[in-house]
Amino acid sequence: MNGFGARAARHIGFQVGVVLLALFVGTALLSLVWTPYAVDALQMRSKLLPASAEHLLGTDHLGRDVLSRIMVGARTSLAVGLIAVGLGMSVGVALGAWAAARGGWVDEMLSRASDLVFAFPAVLIAILITSVLGASAGNAILAIAIFNVPVFARVTRGAALAMWSRDFVRAAVALGRAPVGITLRHVLPNIASVLIVQATIQFAVAILAEAGLSYLGLGAQPPTPSWGGMLRDAQTYIFQAPELAIWPGLAIAMAVLGLNMLGDGLRDLLDPRLRLLRVG
Amino acid sequence: MIEFLSRRLVAALVTLVLATVVVFAVVEVLPGDPALVMLGTDARPDTLAALRAQYGFDQPLSVRYFHWIGGLLRFDLGASHAYGTPVAKLIGDRLAVTLPLAGLALGWALLVAVPLGVFAAWRHGRASDWGVRGFTQIGISIPNFWFGIVLVLIFAVTWQIFPAGGFPGWAQDAPRSLLSLVLPAVALSLSEIAILTRVTRSALLDTLREDYVRTARAKGASEGRVLFGHALRNALIPVTTVAGLIAGFLVAGAVIIESVFRLPGVGQLVYDSINNRDLAVIKNVVILFTILVLAVNLLVDLAYALLDPRPRVTA
Repeated sequence: MNGFGARAARHIGFQVGVVLLALFVGTALLSLVWTPYAVDALQMRSKLLPASAEHLLGTDHLGRDVLSRIMVGARTSLAVGLIAVGLGMSVGVALGAWAAARGGWVDEMLSRASDLVFAFPAVLIAILITSVLGASAGNAILAIAIFNVPVFARVTRGAALAMWSRDFVRAAVALGRAPVGITLRHVLPNIASVLIVQATIQFAVAILAEAGLSYLGLGAQPPTPSWGGMLRDAQTYIFQAPELAIWPGLAIAMAVLGLNMLGDGLRDLLDPRLRLLRVG
Repeated sequence: MIEFLSRRLVAALVTLVLATVVVFAVVEVLPGDPALVMLGTDARPDTLAALRAQYGFDQPLSVRYFHWIGGLLRFDLGASHAYGTPVAKLIGDRLAVTLPLAGLALGWALLVAVPLGVFAAWRHGRASDWGVRGFTQIGISIPNFWFGIVLVLIFAVTWQIFPAGGFPGWAQDAPRSLLSLVLPAVALSLSEIAILTRVTRSALLDTLREDYVRTARAKGASEGRVLFGHALRNALIPVTTVAGLIAGFLVAGAVIIESVFRLPGVGQLVYDSINNRDLAVIKNVVILFTILVLAVNLLVDLAYALLDPRPRVTA
């Protein structure tokens, strides 16, 4: 782990990622206890104000403080992303580990099922689900989670299969340990770094997806502030207050960029084999 | 090679059949009573019964499923509940916007990404390589619909070169129609440019390390001939694969972009159909998109097999 710290200190991309992620999570947490204004404080007399000392990022079409709404929007993005990736990862890792441990028809069936999910474009899965179940943050989470299941299942299966052929795992098999025990004790801890990297990248993808869905009106419903929803509103007033369309998009881009850079950095730092490949 | 492709074809058909079952289950079984979904909970019983009879919702599930599949095979997709027109015609009209949009976006992405990737690989490890890699990192992090809004701000609000949205129609005004697809296509292509640039760069760096490239250099070939005559041809194999995979998803990704620019494409049709609870349209569009993705994947496999002999042996 000492080597990790030393290498992290030299990896600028990783550091930028950490700073951006800290900013994102910090903003979301801060919004729980403090925002400059109440997010739903309507002030029709002060609508579409430009940036000023009073409202650092101006106000929207209902006179609500944009900075406060961006702060609470960070919370929405963080919550939807975390829960969706957490759910998708739990199911996907379990299925992938099962396929690798069991092989045979289980493996074949799960591979076909993941092909099936990949054949549907993710946006359409989300649209299908929300069209039947209704638009809400919960259904957006479900839609994003479903798409994450085969991603984690494939990554886990591939990495776990490589583990099952390693000597220490074969020794455990020879000792008569149960597949579940071997998976939990030997396989999963040894593929954790791959899963962490994948989770970071998927988190970035999930935030983009949540933003897209709430832009379409299929994510968190008003009055809950979401970055995508703010962009939708901003577009209506693009001629009167163009800067309204800048801030939420910048917030999404920074959060996603931070997670992508963190994911790439972690891959370089946690997986020495890949690091070697990159040197060439 | 025939065996390789026919195995892929069978796998794609199996996936497609499973997809129809899933879509049917989600759209017609999961909600309980589809008529209630289409008309809302406050609909009168006799209207509900009339709709059930019209769409055959009163028949057994298996009959309804095979009726739908039979229709799909004959390109008879039924009638839209909201528009009152045949779904096939509705989708066909909208594809006249979505397909050119996706095509323009893919063409533009390749036009920018391949030279950019070649440039980065050529300047490997130098400042300009880092610059290109930084650009690709930002490119995949920016939501394309926000990029679209920013493009509107710059080119439609400030400079007023391109329209901010809308689509006049090919028959009415073809040049203006093309013009109104430019900003959406550029917006749609941003992340694809980033991905294809990365793929081109890393594929070219890989091939530049191959023995035959070293041989060409040893024989005194110029750097330009090594890069374009020897390395790029093989580096383009993975680029083709990824471009193909992207192509299928570009059409689906157009859903949000069409909403930004208010283009009457398939994406908007799906979106409106959700609001109209037009199940017949939703069901068929999703299956057509799935067929498109599977067909493109098959074409990619075909192109792959033609360009690179190796998978034929190993498959």
